[in-house]
Amino acid sequence: MLEILIYGAVSSAVYALLAVGFTLIFGVARILNLAHGSFYALGAYGAYLFAVVMKLPLALAAACSIALVAVFGVFMERVLVRPMRKSQLAVLMITLAVSLVVEQALFLTFGSEYRNVPAFVDAKFSIGGVDVAGQRLLTLASGVVLIGALWLFIQRSRLGSAILAISQDPDAARYMGIPTDRIFTVVMAMSAALAATAGILAGPFLSVQPGMGLLPIVKAFAIVVVGGLGSIPGSILAALMLGYAETLVGYLFSTSWTEIVSVLATLLMLIVRPAGIFGKRAAF
Amino acid sequence: MFDRRIDLAGAALFVAVMALLPLMFSNNYLIGVLTVSVIYGLWSVSWDFMSGLTGRENFGHSLFIGVGAYTAGFLNTAWGLPAWWSLPAAMIVAAVFALAVGIPTLRLKGPYFALAMLSTAVIMQRLMLIFWEQTGGEEGINGIEPLIRSQLGFYYFALAVLVAVTATLVAIARSPWGLILRAIRGDEATCQAAGLNVTFYKIASLVISAAVAGAGGAMYAHYQLQVSPQVFAVVMSITIITMVYVGGMASIYGPVGGAILLVLLTELLRSFGEWRLMIYSCTLILILFFLPEGFIAPVWRWIRARLGARDGASR
Repeated sequence: MLEILIYGAVSSAVYALLAVGFTLIFGVARILNLAHGSFYALGAYGAYLFAVVMKLPLALAAACSIALVAVFGVFMERVLVRPMRKSQLAVLMITLAVSLVVEQALFLTFGSEYRNVPAFVDAKFSIGGVDVAGQRLLTLASGVVLIGALWLFIQRSRLGSAILAISQDPDAARYMGIPTDRIFTVVMAMSAALAATAGILAGPFLSVQPGMGLLPIVKAFAIVVVGGLGSIPGSILAALMLGYAETLVGYLFSTSWTEIVSVLATLLMLIVRPAGIFGKRAAF
Repeated sequence: MFDRRIDLAGAALFVAVMALLPLMFSNNYLIGVLTVSVIYGLWSVSWDFMSGLTGRENFGHSLFIGVGAYTAGFLNTAWGLPAWWSLPAAMIVAAVFALAVGIPTLRLKGPYFALAMLSTAVIMQRLMLIFWEQTGGEEGINGIEPLIRSQLGFYYFALAVLVAVTATLVAIARSPWGLILRAIRGDEATCQAAGLNVTFYKIASLVISAAVAGAGGAMYAHYQLQVSPQVFAVVMSITIITMVYVGGMASIYGPVGGAILLVLLTELLRSFGEWRLMIYSCTLILILFFLPEGFIAPVWRWIRARLGARDGASR
């Protein structure tokens, strides 16, 4: 029982880190970023490159990796996505193409083998008789702290209010003198950094190989549909639901069936309530 | 009027070249490459019929190809049914999947359809690996019988299917049905206001598209004599979308040319080996930026305009 509680919370934290960034850039810039999974993969590979290949201290390697991914996200938004913003489908195409380029680039540089990203914490902890790897607990804690910090940032800071304003009404925000394009860049960097962090934290206990960015996109999409596109509280709640639902299915039936949960949840939610739990407009 | 005649002449010329090529060179390698290009042509036209006409892009066409191929594999090996059962069975199974994904998502606006197709294809690929005891995992299903023993015979069969399907889909696209599909791309709300059941048309065209793709998947399985989870790969969908973009969206005939052109070019790029997919994805990005209209359909329209002008002037 406790096992389900802990492991469910850990996967929820990873999902939440992924989904919050995905929903943030959609809510603010209306960019549905299919390359979001690549940020996650690049984060993990960046940590591997800096920590294992270049032998930097792990904390520094993680910081370098996150910064690099954020820069990559900004580059992608500026150069590839911005000229295409008129058409949502063109944005989907271009970001999907980017995710493929990233996957192929990782494959060509690192090969298709699984890579080991070093863990921050090697110790194992015992909580009420359940053994949990320290890295998982760290992931859970960092997830909670980062999302809490993001929430405070958006609710309290001046830049946060600008982000909120754009997500509510981009035109009105522009009339008020908010530099929307610059805010998009900031949000893209944040979204990419969050996904990279998820990759670095989860890398040690999940598989790190070039195609690893694909499933997170499926999961993030499911979470965002269930929670409501563009709603941050919605995606946190839905991340918890998906994390626990998958863990439960894994325990009750078999781990083989866990992968279906996300797609079934997506399709069911679209039948029952397309706007999602916290979605405002009905399927925009 | 001249346009129609020039189109027909162009199509006849194309079919003649495709039919004569293997006779002129008569080597098995070339026939193999041409067969694969014709099957890709089938997948590209079917993609274009739904997504090009209605403007709802399908990011998981490999789902239909994959279920078609695996249906063929199961029926032929595990159940031991004769190879020809695969085609109708694959079409039905692919159509069922189209309904399962299309009904929840196509009634909505927004990117739900595109993403749900992508997700379902990714998950199906995962399932093929997870349930390896039934599906053969990474290896897939081996020992599938060929549809037609002679390689050349199968090539002509595939070419005939491609010509028939393309002709039918072009005819539908030029009929009032196709007009409605195009109108949906232009302005869905207006179509709805005009009393059209927009959702029905979108789902019906997806089912047609899926059935063709499923049949193509079954043909592919019977050609390769095996199926692997790679048929579900996102790369597969992207390859097809790239072919359609190269051919010219919503022209139906363009994607056939795009598919054949790209498969032949890929063979020339064979020495690049691992770089092939990288080249594909970069091509796609470049086309999105510099040739949003595609390449083959605009070129054909230009030729047609020139020929038509001369025809008109000589009169």
